[in-house]
Amino acid sequence: MGFPLSDEATEQLSQWPPRARKLFDELLDDAGSDLQREFIQRAVAAAHSPAEVHAFADELRALSDEEAYEACTLHDEEPKDYTVSQLLQAEADPLFAFELMGGTIEPNEDDSSPGFVPPRPAPTLELEAQTPLDALATAVSKKKSSDSFEAESPGARPKKLDWNDLQHSKPAQAKKDPGPASTAGQRFLENLLAEATRGLSISWKEQDVDVPGGLSMADALSSAAGALARGIPVPCAVGPNPGDHRRFIVLMQLNTSGKSRAWQLYDPFSSELLWANEGDLLAKAELPFANKMNRRLTRIVLPQSLRSSF
Amino acid sequence: MAPAKSQPSTPFASRELNGEVLLEELSDLRNAQVPQKLLSDLVVGLRDLEGVRCSEASQRLKQLAANRFSATPALASLLVRWSAKLKVEPDVPLLIAHFERLAITAAIVASVRRAAESLKGGGR
Repeated sequence: MGFPLSDEATEQLSQWPPRARKLFDELLDDAGSDLQREFIQRAVAAAHSPAEVHAFADELRALSDEEAYEACTLHDEEPKDYTVSQLLQAEADPLFAFELMGGTIEPNEDDSSPGFVPPRPAPTLELEAQTPLDALATAVSKKKSSDSFEAESPGARPKKLDWNDLQHSKPAQAKKDPGPASTAGQRFLENLLAEATRGLSISWKEQDVDVPGGLSMADALSSAAGALARGIPVPCAVGPNPGDHRRFIVLMQLNTSGKSRAWQLYDPFSSELLWANEGDLLAKAELPFANKMNRRLTRIVLPQSLRSSF
Repeated sequence: MAPAKSQPSTPFASRELNGEVLLEELSDLRNAQVPQKLLSDLVVGLRDLEGVRCSEASQRLKQLAANRFSATPALASLLVRWSAKLKVEPDVPLLIAHFERLAITAAIVASVRRAAESLKGGGR
């Protein structure tokens, strides 16, 4: 792979597992043009997960350079109420711009797969260090007359490595048994939250707790603690059993005293704001809310792409 | 007695700053129908206060309230109230973080309310 990578992309890639890095090389090889490769590496530099980058690359592959440029560029003459923050982030992060322009990706991801290390928060935007979009526009215009580009059929290129291969070491039954309630895979909050917090540069990922392919309760709480430490409350679903989501609550704060940790839970529907010992959450037997039927966390929605200051 | 310079002042040291206090403010803003976009804009504006001295931060909060958010009395009065509580330098980043949490929590609660219909029994 001879495509030059930015320092930010290289740093993010250094945290990816070897198989994800290999897939990244494949994505660059498969990309139909330098413009697409530039977009892909920028998405990596912006700390998107390997699965998000893969899904983004898949979307790009089906587009011509002109279409890709249009899909990943916010235009000043059509502000559409974009905030300055959005405009700046979109310039550095084509995946963010793609979604802001209405594009959707469907990452087939499972960050809990062995060896996966979540990307670190993206560095604060340093636009001077970025390739100016004018240069990308030039690349687009050059590509218009490129025979090799016209000869490419990006969508038809076979993938050499499927993303699912990265989950090779999971137990075989993990994918076959979706759990008692068939809501696995149904995303209740992810898109709503992404839309609502777009101006704050946060994206989200829903993950079931204690169902095959999901997070363990301990891992879910560990991830939530990291988010709260960065000042981001964490929405969750609660219910009587794993996979049976009955109500949403919010993890507001985490308080540590010696070896014990207490979580502040907020139920926006009953307006209850309560503290619970971590041991009670891990025991999955009862939550301190008045409604005792919902005794455990069943799903967690974790923030993904963050400003470095969070 | 004034707090030591390296310690935040009392309102910012409270365990409930980002718990009860935040939710009360959120309730007020919701009742006043303050749009989420304004909260996000406020957060972006407040990030400029990072590293700014306490007295200047207080001044700029009042300016934001009087100019950018004058058409939103609930938000403007919240800014003015907090500007008066800034006493020492460590208060400034805590206040910025508080407003960031406020904006994020507002977005979460609004999203959760919309998504609740998808759950069994309406999620309520």
